Amino acid sequence: MQNVRGDHYEVLGIEPSASGDEVEEAYRRCVVLYGEGSLATYSLLEPEEVEAVRARVHEAYSVLRDPDRRREYDAALPFEADTPEPPEPDDVRAEPGVLPEPVTGADLRRVREERGVTLKEIAKASKIGVRFFEYIEADRHADLPAVVYLRGFLQEYARAVGLDPQRTAGSYLARMARGASGPRDRSA
Amino acid sequence: MSAAQSFAAPARFPSPSPLASRRIWSIGGGKGGIGKSLLAASLGAELARMGKRVVLVDADLGGANLHTCLGVAGPPLTLGDFIQRRVERIEDVAVETGRPGLRLISGASDFLSAANINYAQKLRVLNRIKTLDVDVVLMDLGAGTAYNIIDFFLASDVSLLVVVPEPTSIENGYRFIKSALYRRLRRAAQGDEVRRIVDCALDAKNPSGIRTPLDLLAAVEREDRAAAEALRRELRAYQPHFVVNQVRGEADAAIGQQLVTACARHLGVRATYAGFVRYDDAVWRCVRQRRLFVDDPEGGRPSEDVRQIATRLLQGESLTLPWA
Repeated sequence: MQNVRGDHYEVLGIEPSASGDEVEEAYRRCVVLYGEGSLATYSLLEPEEVEAVRARVHEAYSVLRDPDRRREYDAALPFEADTPEPPEPDDVRAEPGVLPEPVTGADLRRVREERGVTLKEIAKASKIGVRFFEYIEADRHADLPAVVYLRGFLQEYARAVGLDPQRTAGSYLARMARGASGPRDRSA
Repeated sequence: MSAAQSFAAPARFPSPSPLASRRIWSIGGGKGGIGKSLLAASLGAELARMGKRVVLVDADLGGANLHTCLGVAGPPLTLGDFIQRRVERIEDVAVETGRPGLRLISGASDFLSAANINYAQKLRVLNRIKTLDVDVVLMDLGAGTAYNIIDFFLASDVSLLVVVPEPTSIENGYRFIKSALYRRLRRAAQGDEVRRIVDCALDAKNPSGIRTPLDLLAAVEREDRAAAEALRRELRAYQPHFVVNQVRGEADAAIGQQLVTACARHLGVRATYAGFVRYDDAVWRCVRQRRLFVDDPEGGRPSEDVRQIATRLLQGESLTLPWA
């Protein structure tokens, strides 16, 4: 069910750049795929799942077929329309994917707030307790788990806010290892 | 050997040979009577006609009949002789079929316990099959989702899954895809806890609410992120190719494409569509006469379809229907 929980474009199986015709075409395909007596889905999905998917398909179509509603919807999508994936490390974007060292909890928080991502969203997507992200931002190093876990948490966080996961985690951990603590400490 | 034990196959189980070779092909489908053997025979014949050196292997161990599809008599030596070690080299049970370039290793229906070969015997068959000096080894698998069938499917470079446009066939096709995938994931699972989660997923009514491979990955992810990544790699590498047989119109042909979409969306499986074979009365007429339809002047359309499937598979391509 993963993709049908996604945004309207994923639900119809098209790119955010899809033309009006492509939206119509994709909708028609979904109607057949999830229609009554569709061989390809009848034994794969439970009746209530099919019901739910149909509702999502219809919702997606009703928004994307209407240029005004689609524009409004695109504007509200996080980042560029439909890119839940983190930027690649080499990705050159207008906003920097790499923060200058050393990276503090406050730096992370600033980026996160700029991008309009909440801690709850990161926690939900990563299935990591929200309190760990609070500790990361507050530089409460004593409360953080062992580095082996923390690295993964930091990478999840970085990914969610559009930063380079490896470099961000490495930089935060390096500063932590030097014994720095407290959000105001920026000395190396 | 209990089901749980046999599932815990050791790591040395052969995996498909490097992608470039694409030499070992298998044809499964879950359900009987959907044309697996006929597709195997005709695909073998067409590949041979294209100049490939082909060995057909009747791996339907309990119900071998590929020789009949090819219109040849049951050969004196079969896979059974190799399994029972009456013959040492697997080449010695590969018989000529009267078609240049096409040989047949007939199934082991000559001893009644053939369907239940043990793990070591299976391993020996698979390892020796890989040493055959040919361009393509084409294995016709039996019906059902027994490990003996699934293991041949998983050890192939090109795994074909045949369905016909009927609810029963497609239901069994999905079951086959899931069974094979879970076996593959179980083999790749590292650590007791991860293995426990995979085992749990095998029970369709499991209390953890794991209904699909995607649910399974999410459950493993909560437990062990590295293990989840390893399983995700396995999932990505698992690419069955659908063949829709007995197609009677555009809507039937489109089913292959819909299956690919449904697999990707709801199972996370990246299947492809190898093609369809149109229904034609000439096919069953030929079966009754114990002749292969690709030799019949009236079997033109299904023969053409089989040829296209062979070409696509050789070139690593798949079918996309503009109107589907």
